[in-house]
Amino acid sequence: MSVLTAILLGLAMGTVFGLALEKSRVFEPGVILGQMQLRNFTMLKIFLTAVVTGLLVLAVLNGLDLTRLFPKPALYGADLIGGALLGVGIALAGACPGTVAAQIGAGYRDAWYTLAGGLLGAVAFSYAEPVLNPLLLSGGPGRITLANVTGAPFWVLALGFASLLVAGLVALERWRPWRGELGAAADGLLPLPAPYPVVNAVAAE
Amino acid sequence: MPALTDRAWSPYFAGVLIGLLQIPAFLLLETALGTSSAYVTAGDSLAALLEPGIRGIDYAARHLSGAKNWWQVAVVVGIALGALLSARLSGTRRHGVSPVWARAIGSTGPARRFAMAFGAGFIMLLGARIADGCTSGHGISGMAQLAVGSIVAVCAMFAGGIATAFLFRRV
Repeated sequence: MSVLTAILLGLAMGTVFGLALEKSRVFEPGVILGQMQLRNFTMLKIFLTAVVTGLLVLAVLNGLDLTRLFPKPALYGADLIGGALLGVGIALAGACPGTVAAQIGAGYRDAWYTLAGGLLGAVAFSYAEPVLNPLLLSGGPGRITLANVTGAPFWVLALGFASLLVAGLVALERWRPWRGELGAAADGLLPLPAPYPVVNAVAAE
Repeated sequence: MPALTDRAWSPYFAGVLIGLLQIPAFLLLETALGTSSAYVTAGDSLAALLEPGIRGIDYAARHLSGAKNWWQVAVVVGIALGALLSARLSGTRRHGVSPVWARAIGSTGPARRFAMAFGAGFIMLLGARIADGCTSGHGISGMAQLAVGSIVAVCAMFAGGIATAFLFRRV
């Protein structure tokens, strides 16, 4: 595929992605911070639904031999350290690397600074990679999936895992209906429990 | 039926839509959906204008050219366009910073939030590149492939995110 075709395809796919991120409100810092404080579960609902859909898509496409899988290599030290740093960054940014772009599109000013910091972080990593590579980013068991570990066919595991996640999502929706987590301004901000604003007001003085 | 002028869609409808993007990604691009390596391609391309020596780093060189790398940059640009379109159609364009920050860190001027966002972006992408993926690449795509490393990275990501978020005031 030529670079130009790939860019046009990327723009089309990204537009759908951005539309879904904006309409679902998951790009809102209030939704992401609310999720990390275990107060608003919108992010988990979208995330797990996208995983379920991906599992079903890949169960079919891989099961029919239409595509192979492209899992990232398992590097436990890097996955743990990098994943934890990523999580710290997400909580401080109120965004993930993808939703930063949605925040810019929707109009949030601070997202431009998150983007700039992110670009600098990526460049810094590029310079550090030759040093980090022998310490963290090499070795490991390779590109393994649960199908490799268990020896079961991928499509069987994917359908089983998807069923479990659907059951979890049904329970989550019963516990916390999605409309109740939008907030009055659709920004994920929910009313604070009654005694809390008083405590905050005292703490602020 | 969800309409483009709606202020909010069901998270389940949006999640299905995002998951279906794996079809063109796997069949046409022979890759999974992701966003964080786009920051390497874009960042290193900008850095190369100032300091061409970065092209000598193997990791940078692998990200600077090729259809898949620029496809991912286009995906990130497309996300901004899609969100702009969506917010305009429903009249939910945002201005300034989210009111959640006044709750989380106390009401302060935007300068403090801008500095915080810059540092946050730096940590976020440094972490994503060490882990070799973010919420999209490890989360949405890695989990959908039952990749062992991605499951570990997603658990670490939520652990780091939750531990940090509880340092803020309650939102």
